[in-house]
Amino acid sequence: MEENKIGEKEKILEIKDLEVKFVTRRGIFHALNGVDLELYRGEVLGIAGESGSGKSTLLLTISGLLPSNAWVTNGKIVYMGENLIQDLVDAGKPKYNKKRNEKAFKKLNEKLQNIRGTKISIVFQDPMTALNPVLQVGYQIAEAIYYHNPSILAKRILARYKATKDDMREILKILKSNKEDYTEKLLEYIGRRNLEGLEEQVLFIWERNDLHDIKKEKLIMSLAGERVSRFALPFLNQVAKTNKVPRIPILSRFIKRILIKEGYRKAVEILSILNVPNPDKVVYMYPHELSGGMRQRVAIAIALVNNPEIVLLDEPTSALDVTVQAQVLDLVKNLRKKYNSSFIFVSHDLSVLYEVTDRIAVMYAGRVVEVGSKEEIVSNPLHPYTQSLLRAVPTLEGNEVSPIPGEVPDMRNPPKGCMFHPRCPFAMDICKVQTPPMYTLGNGHKVACFLYGERK
Amino acid sequence: MIIAGYNVTKHFISGGMFSTNKVVVKAVQGVNIKIREKETVGLVGESGSGKTTLARLLVGLEEVTEGTILFNIPDDELNEYEEALKKGDKEVMKRIEEKYDITKMPKSKLRKLRRYMSMVFQDPYSSLDPRMRVLDIIKEPMIATGYLSGEEADKRVLELLEKVGLPKWFAYRYPHELSGGQRQRVALARALSTNPKFIALDEPTSALDVSTQAQILNLLKSLQKEEGISYLLITHNIAVASYLSDRLYVMYAGKIVEVGDKELVIKNPKHPYTIALMSAVPRIGKVMQRVPIKGEPPNLVNLPTGCHFHPRCPYAFEYCGWNAIEVAEDLKYLLEGKYYDIGGERIRIDVLSDFKLRIEGIGYQDLEKIVKSEIESVKSFKSIDSIKMEGENIVTIELKKYMTPKLYELEDGRLVSCLLYDEKFKNRK
Repeated sequence: MEENKIGEKEKILEIKDLEVKFVTRRGIFHALNGVDLELYRGEVLGIAGESGSGKSTLLLTISGLLPSNAWVTNGKIVYMGENLIQDLVDAGKPKYNKKRNEKAFKKLNEKLQNIRGTKISIVFQDPMTALNPVLQVGYQIAEAIYYHNPSILAKRILARYKATKDDMREILKILKSNKEDYTEKLLEYIGRRNLEGLEEQVLFIWERNDLHDIKKEKLIMSLAGERVSRFALPFLNQVAKTNKVPRIPILSRFIKRILIKEGYRKAVEILSILNVPNPDKVVYMYPHELSGGMRQRVAIAIALVNNPEIVLLDEPTSALDVTVQAQVLDLVKNLRKKYNSSFIFVSHDLSVLYEVTDRIAVMYAGRVVEVGSKEEIVSNPLHPYTQSLLRAVPTLEGNEVSPIPGEVPDMRNPPKGCMFHPRCPFAMDICKVQTPPMYTLGNGHKVACFLYGERK
Repeated sequence: MIIAGYNVTKHFISGGMFSTNKVVVKAVQGVNIKIREKETVGLVGESGSGKTTLARLLVGLEEVTEGTILFNIPDDELNEYEEALKKGDKEVMKRIEEKYDITKMPKSKLRKLRRYMSMVFQDPYSSLDPRMRVLDIIKEPMIATGYLSGEEADKRVLELLEKVGLPKWFAYRYPHELSGGQRQRVALARALSTNPKFIALDEPTSALDVSTQAQILNLLKSLQKEEGISYLLITHNIAVASYLSDRLYVMYAGKIVEVGDKELVIKNPKHPYTIALMSAVPRIGKVMQRVPIKGEPPNLVNLPTGCHFHPRCPYAFEYCGWNAIEVAEDLKYLLEGKYYDIGGERIRIDVLSDFKLRIEGIGYQDLEKIVKSEIESVKSFKSIDSIKMEGENIVTIELKKYMTPKLYELEDGRLVSCLLYDEKFKNRK
């Protein structure tokens, strides 16, 4: 049944045979050695692995943020029917060439302009370094919208400009009379009156439960008929239509200031969705004034503000305390219900992954060695590495902890065959020469180990 | 007893001599801690709860603001001291403190004692001098304490390397050539070099990978068996604490909130904070039922009154530490939001004292109605003792006086610092 469910689901991202190397002065570093992975719409995929296993490199490759010494030798990342890294692979053939590679990265950056930040966004491990220390939190969230979807901001301003007191009275009537389906009725009314951008503002006020109705009405009424400088008006209309900010010096800065100011209002809304207390004060704060958990929420807000299809989370809770970590994990669980996004959640902690994910992929030395539903991975681990990893984690029950013998392989000089064979208790002769393929064992459980070869 | 600390307190004062706004950071407040021979005591808590400061105080790296730390004291003398402490017998206390108290010891004497205690720091990347060879790193404490020197010391370094599972030729390497796990082994060898009786381990594995963590944990365990050392293990990872320690101390905002045997504290926590902490630990194979706690740990400059945990505590009741400022804030929030029809912008709230506030612009009945209907969701309202009418639309509120919890002993021998376990409130659970 589980398999059917996965089969029905739409594949949103497909990674095939991805190989990435880093060219350094001390040799070539084999970071990814043939990664196969799929992400389905609406799921949370966990990636587990130790440091150096290539988890972060994989995320950087997906989001196109690799440094220019990265050499993509093979593979595909298919998103919306398009291979994002085709140019990079072509540039890397037949040999690494610095100039050609840099050119390809430039091209990739242009191509990703409309994808990165809007369709695919990323949250980094350490929110202190990910946020800009000299900019207010609200500005950083506003900036994310301003660069990707300025029309949203312009529409919000224009809607308030166009709406009259009568409109607002009408809207309040809709909100009060329809207890259940006011959202649809509201959208219909707003569509008819051509006030797009107003609905989220109205609903945000109406759905707050810490305000009295009279106050809410007052706030909603005050949205109507906002004055906009007559000079800015035609340009705002233009931005709303074309989703581009005019590139005229001085003027563009003027428009930017108006739009960013609006972005602060939007930032308040998204922060309150993320359970940040006093969001209207937090937007005017700087990152150093916030605690770790709060900073991570801001980083998540920046990632989510453009309604991305794929959110990449790179160890988002590793820098946080357990109680705050629990809050962030709950947040991720709620967000997937609210937004129809897919998440890739990277962590070295299997227990964290078990808490939030649907499927877990285990990585070792730049390869995915096992994928499956989280229950399968935890209760029936197949790959020897997964087995020893699970045994190495101390639990609250105080079980015996047995370390994995040996060291993580030096990826400048990776072992031949299966990379895990020098540390594997079940290593066979074939493991030393041949790289095991992915064997599928039903229930969507896949494992790259020769032990399971004959079963097929 | 290897270490017995009484009322250990550390306040950091920031701001210079002429600074107008001096800030006192209350890192550790009145902590009592005991560590027996060959015992591992786990100290868990969130970051900023004062764990590291407490450890630094115990090994004498930081001077206490107040309190006594008795090091390596025979049990009979400790009993004598504790009895004197109860009776207030200053003379006996003074006699014993002169002998064992590291906080009042002259420096020359303390230096000799230092070889019996050492510390392993959290980050192996910054705790090893990058310009020293491993040999010199491990040798340094031996020479500084005068334990060994010259060739003997070199010989001991090689022995130590073998003990922590590193090849001998690592002695001539520099820290940057080593991996995280290897560095932590070197740090451990350094801590072991003077044959100490007590080691404070400050997050020894939090910078390491899972598999390396397992190696270090097992190494620590076997070393304890061989050498009979006592550990103080500081960690925010409760699973790690559970693996190594015999007893657990749970710390919150500079105070110990629960002490007890590991099994008891983990499986059946009693203090509301411990309950929440244990329920927040993700476990493999179990999607847990969480006891939600809101908010973040308090800042150590402006600590909450009464029990430090009361603003986040799901079980808080009227005596837990509410003061007029908190009630005024909650009231203001409600009157400006949910009860806008009654309150609105006309309201003025004055805090008269810790337990008294005056509200202008609201009728007595309205206020009583609000307090009654919100008392379940707004916990600070529970502390309201009486509402009095002062004049037309002027009301004063008086609060019940809060109590600060002590460490209460339960039947199973553990100590919990929560008013729920006070004699007076026993039937509240």
